[in-house]
Amino acid sequence: MAITVSPGTFDFVSFDAAYIERIAGIVAGQLGVTDIDFSVEIDETSALNRISTDASVTPVRIMVHSGAFEDKRRPRQQSEIDTTVSLARCMLRARDRLRGGFASAPTDTELTLAQAAAWDTYIMARLSRIDIPVNKQAWHYNWRNRHGFNDHSDAAFERMWQAESLDWDQLSSASDAARSVSA
Amino acid sequence: MRKFMPADELARDERFSQTTQRDRMADARTTVVLNGDQNRRSNNRLTPERNDASEAARALMHGIFVGEIQALEGAGRTCWDFTTGEEAPFALKLDMARQAWDEARHVEISCKLGDWMGAEIGQYVENTVLFEAACSNDPVLRLAGVNRALEGLAIDVFTTMKEFGEIAGDPYLEFCEDWMLADEVTHVKMGSDWLRKVTENDPERRKKALEFQNIVDKMFSYGGSRSESDESSLGIARRFRELAGFTDSEVDYVAEVSMQALNERKAQIAERQAAAAANK
Repeated sequence: MAITVSPGTFDFVSFDAAYIERIAGIVAGQLGVTDIDFSVEIDETSALNRISTDASVTPVRIMVHSGAFEDKRRPRQQSEIDTTVSLARCMLRARDRLRGGFASAPTDTELTLAQAAAWDTYIMARLSRIDIPVNKQAWHYNWRNRHGFNDHSDAAFERMWQAESLDWDQLSSASDAARSVSA
Repeated sequence: MRKFMPADELARDERFSQTTQRDRMADARTTVVLNGDQNRRSNNRLTPERNDASEAARALMHGIFVGEIQALEGAGRTCWDFTTGEEAPFALKLDMARQAWDEARHVEISCKLGDWMGAEIGQYVENTVLFEAACSNDPVLRLAGVNRALEGLAIDVFTTMKEFGEIAGDPYLEFCEDWMLADEVTHVKMGSDWLRKVTENDPERRKKALEFQNIVDKMFSYGGSRSESDESSLGIARRFRELAGFTDSEVDYVAEVSMQALNERKAQIAERQAAAAANK
């Protein structure tokens, strides 16, 4: 497995490329994706909390705006937890796409907000089960913003959170069904 | 008990971390489009349509929460810092005491909304700029800074959050923000009324207070985070500001300085980013 991090040094934030690479290596081991090469590309000029993955190329590209690795209590400083969680989200999404039944899913930029929220819920729930710190309530709120604030939506969230093995068709159908009640 | 508490000595427990406006403005990163960069969104307005809407709303809710604590501290300090009768009329202090009660309720509401949205107390850094505007040693300037500028900002923030809740279909957020918004309109009105009353026979003092308010208004635009441009997260709630006693020209002024702050911030960031690129 090869993991590359760019840039190697940072001007706008106090991040450490070698540290990011080490964290990426650990997370890849936890997720069983050590056979996949990753290129982690950080846009340090943006404070946005945005990540995306392109699994159609080799190495798989993980694109991160600096806000996604940042310690929100100490602006411009790197957070180990946020770096871990953001990398884990991207790597698990890549694993889903490459061998998890998500080959037919739209690209990250083409996902609807509801589909992205449903997939994130499925990803974060699995991360929480391998002891990566996840705030379930925050992801529930994200789900509700995309699927509605009602009991039906909450029940669909719980099913998604407990799901162990879904493919793209199952996940997108569950998302559509939850949204149909709100609509 | 000490009078005129400085912003860096506010009582906070270990969950909180603080920053100043100077530090915040030293951050050369951006969230807005620069030089037609299509990788950034061109619309920063906080609406549910944003990809990062949930996280952005959560961060703003935490900002509201700490802002309410500072507003409580500001109104409370006004009751204590000035001698009754000589420096500030009793009725003014009574209004500030009522405001402190309102702000305490807002702190509790914002804290519970934060729980609802999945935020934790102290998860985000606290900018103490709001309280800094409440440190003037003239009660009239204090009113201009706190009740007119700070609470005016609160009107803009609550309107944005109320609309966010309305569009997302979040009944709690919409309802709570609507109620708090009503209080903020009252607080601004109290400031407007007292400013006029206390400076009735002192035009020089009134002028000074309004100048101070203008400075604070620009500061509270947070480098363009609030303006009528879609590049800002927060809009300017013209209607509610009118209800609170702002004249059309005063709202126009706030809109103008906010736009100015946005453009200055963009130019500043572009310059720093160009300098960093040249050094690579």
